[in-house]
Amino acid sequence: MSTVRLVEISKQYGATVAVHELSLAIADGELVTLLGPSGCGKTTTLRMVAGLVEPTQGRVWFDDQDVTDVPPRRRNIGFVFQTPALFPHMTVADNIGFGLSVKKVKKDVIAARVGEMLALVGLAGYGARLPAQMSGGQQQRVALARVLATDPRVLLFDEPLSALDRNLRDSLKYSILELQRRTKKTAIYVTHDQSEAFAISDRIVVMNAGRIEQIGTQTDIYLRPETPFVAEFIGATNGFRGRVSRLDRDGDDTRVEVTAGALTVRCRAPIELAVGDEVLAYVRPENVVVLDDRDGSGYENVVDGQIDRVIFEGPTAQLRVDVGGREIRADVSGGLRLALVERQGRVRLGFNDVTVIRAPATDGTPPRDEAAATTAAV
Amino acid sequence: MSASSVPSTAPLVTSTRRPARRRWTSRRMTDILSHGYIWFCLAVFVLPFTALLVYSFTGPGGTYAIENFQYVLGSFGENLWWSIRVSVLSVAIDLAIALPAAYAIVRYPVPGKRLIYSLLSLPLYVPGAVIGLSLVIAYNFTYHLTTSIWGLVLAMVVGTFPLMLTPIIVALKDLPVSFEEAAECLGASRWQTFRRIVFPLIGPGLSAGLMLAFIIVFNEYLVTLFVHPSDVTTAPLRIFNLVRTAGLLPTTAALAVTMQLISFATVLVFFRVFGTRYLKATYLI
Repeated sequence: MSTVRLVEISKQYGATVAVHELSLAIADGELVTLLGPSGCGKTTTLRMVAGLVEPTQGRVWFDDQDVTDVPPRRRNIGFVFQTPALFPHMTVADNIGFGLSVKKVKKDVIAARVGEMLALVGLAGYGARLPAQMSGGQQQRVALARVLATDPRVLLFDEPLSALDRNLRDSLKYSILELQRRTKKTAIYVTHDQSEAFAISDRIVVMNAGRIEQIGTQTDIYLRPETPFVAEFIGATNGFRGRVSRLDRDGDDTRVEVTAGALTVRCRAPIELAVGDEVLAYVRPENVVVLDDRDGSGYENVVDGQIDRVIFEGPTAQLRVDVGGREIRADVSGGLRLALVERQGRVRLGFNDVTVIRAPATDGTPPRDEAAATTAAV
Repeated sequence: MSASSVPSTAPLVTSTRRPARRRWTSRRMTDILSHGYIWFCLAVFVLPFTALLVYSFTGPGGTYAIENFQYVLGSFGENLWWSIRVSVLSVAIDLAIALPAAYAIVRYPVPGKRLIYSLLSLPLYVPGAVIGLSLVIAYNFTYHLTTSIWGLVLAMVVGTFPLMLTPIIVALKDLPVSFEEAAECLGASRWQTFRRIVFPLIGPGLSAGLMLAFIIVFNEYLVTLFVHPSDVTTAPLRIFNLVRTAGLLPTTAALAVTMQLISFATVLVFFRVFGTRYLKATYLI
């Protein structure tokens, strides 16, 4: 049982900053996902927890032990790689027993533990096989059994499913979750796949450009994104950059009107704003409703537009509507999506649930320090 | 043919493919020519060895004589034994140096490692006579090694070291680092990781290096001529001396054939034991 604490760890490769002063505390038995695009520093962070990468600055703690200078072999971790990395010249049983055999555990004890682990991952009877004789999914299960055999303090996963095909990914991610729950191990899971992160995490850490953008549960980061990056990276969204044109205070409830070109959207202000502030407003496509001739009451925002394209995706249909030169995407499900497939011409849309975030200083990628300063000011 | 079972498709196939004429398409002609060429080359290269083999069994007056090979075990035995000793020692030293060197070059950020590697490979591009002469000078004036077998062994190591180093480097580069990292995370020490994971997995590269180095040292003549101590005569040196002093004798041919067989056996053992991963393009298996 173990907690993991990263205190302002940084990793620099020459002039490149891979991870910048990242701090994170993970509770005992918790499964935390580091989610972000490739190159965001999530794997480097994980490898610093493992000790495979030495931090340029900062400390790594397991419980109350500073392990920053402890080599990986003495950290008692279980690292599952992107490829199963099973030793090809050893049988499955020898692979699983490797961690115990290097600690000079007795052979019969190892054999018993290996049997137990094989049963745990549902591969009883496969011990005598060579890794090459097993499928990719089975190999990754063996890799799991191999790290669990040593009873590690922390489980570390570096995109363990990315090399597998889709169906296998789905079933294996729940196996990983179940194993983590059953063994009650503290776990850090790195992925760029949002659905994977949403399916298994207790908490999700969204990372970008070597820093943490937001930490929270699935609903936190999906419904209440705190930065433009999180709003745009997680799920699909319609974003507008504009200025606060009106502000109404009614007790605790502050409502704002954001004008972005020809488009004006109204919503509750989740943060302290003033008229004239530059903001980003986001609305999720699944929250945009096709009103047609129906009355727009119940919707704070009603807009008319011209249908650009309808993309039928099976369970949903994607409607791309040109509203005053801006594209708004609406995801329609249910029976209506079938009626929409052949649809052309004008359409009326309604939506609530607009998220407003203070805009970073410049368009595109903001200079990081200014963005941080802005957040601090809020 | 299953023409009767699929009567509807059979005519279609015949009309489009014209099997009768397909036999002499240009592709087939190219196949025959290229195979013929390979066999021709093989014949040209193998024929001299066959002649040597026949000659080695020739007794006085053109009779058949197995006795020639008795000399190999008798008078030539000592020369063969020197050759084997020098080869084994050189290869062992090659390995002891090349393995850590290759590991350092591939896995660690050694500054200027490309330059180091180029320098280490230099003997491959230097003529044997130049190596021999330089070593004689160096040994005579610096190390005073000309009177012991170690001078000869070290000369062989200098000449064949890159042959051992290169396949090991290739094998290590082919080996994903994740194997070593996985072992390390599972608690294995550096030495355990090397002995139980890296060493077995670079086996093919290692054995390729061993084979190349052994064959080269075993058959080396030119450098040996320069640096051998007066009481050490290896088999190739003996062959040369005999031909020079006594002309072409069937007994000399027998020694040559024996050397050929040892080299050949080494290569065969290599392929049987370690497979073909690192020398795919050969015709031997």
